[in-house]
Amino acid sequence: MAEDDPNDRGLEAFFAAGRDRAPAPSDALMARVLADAEAEMVRPAEVAVLRPAARPSRLAAAIASIGGWAGLGGLATATAAGVWIGFAGLADPLEASGLITPPLSVELMPGTESFMTASAEE
Amino acid sequence: MALDERDGWSDDDLLALYARGDPVAARRLTLRFTPVALRVAQRMLADAAEAEDVAQEAMLRLWRMAPGWQPGQAKVTTWLYRVVANLCTDRLRRRRTVPLDAAPEPEDGDPGVAARMIAADRAAALEQALAALPERQRQAVILRHLEGLANPEIAEVMEVGVEAVESLVARGKRGLAVALSGRRDELGFEDG
Repeated sequence: MAEDDPNDRGLEAFFAAGRDRAPAPSDALMARVLADAEAEMVRPAEVAVLRPAARPSRLAAAIASIGGWAGLGGLATATAAGVWIGFAGLADPLEASGLITPPLSVELMPGTESFMTASAEE
Repeated sequence: MALDERDGWSDDDLLALYARGDPVAARRLTLRFTPVALRVAQRMLADAAEAEDVAQEAMLRLWRMAPGWQPGQAKVTTWLYRVVANLCTDRLRRRRTVPLDAAPEPEDGDPGVAARMIAADRAAALEQALAALPERQRQAVILRHLEGLANPEIAEVMEVGVEAVESLVARGKRGLAVALSGRRDELGFEDG
């Protein structure tokens, strides 16, 4: 490390003394630094959490747009029902399904109709 | 706490392991770099408490930069020296708000200072003389002659050219020679 400078020979003795007596960190400092290291360290579990989420596929996006898998199930059921109705040729699907029944006729005054018919013929 | 720097792992390896959450790497990095940060900080600041704060802060920045560290692009020590130097510069600038009368001003051959020095304590004399140097000269001399860095690496740390480093070191050493010339006899030196 000595150079041509005439001061170097004398200074080198001071530098050597300085290197020999280099300040060393206290245990307290080392403990603080290590505590910082552990506080800043990302745990393996956090690495998994922090990993960027995979971009959803178009199929997944489409399913999500109709309400997820439950929505897809409902849509499939409705489609199957439509196909069955079409093949069965039912005039009134609601009636066929039993959800509604044909309207009932009720005679409030039995015999009135024949009476009125007879009167008209006279 | 033992300071074992020969653990067989490269700086880059340890940083990568730390970034993946390896606590052993955290301990090895602490042992390897905290003494470096403290040495430079204490020599720059000549204040043990402030030097500890700087060393801890520099290490904190090391932990935070670890996940983004690009292996092989720079030396970790060069990065650390630069961070420590910048932190010390900040503190020295804040000190300048203190009236100059309050700052220590060792004089060549000052009998008061000489009388307080332990005869064999050459390192203390050097520290005192270093403290009297201008900041950039002090930094260059510390990195060159106490940390043993080559001039190109010092240039990288200080973000100046190699010629500027050579000039700073030379001027710093001239200042030290003047400051210490009157103390060589007191510190047990003989000519030679």
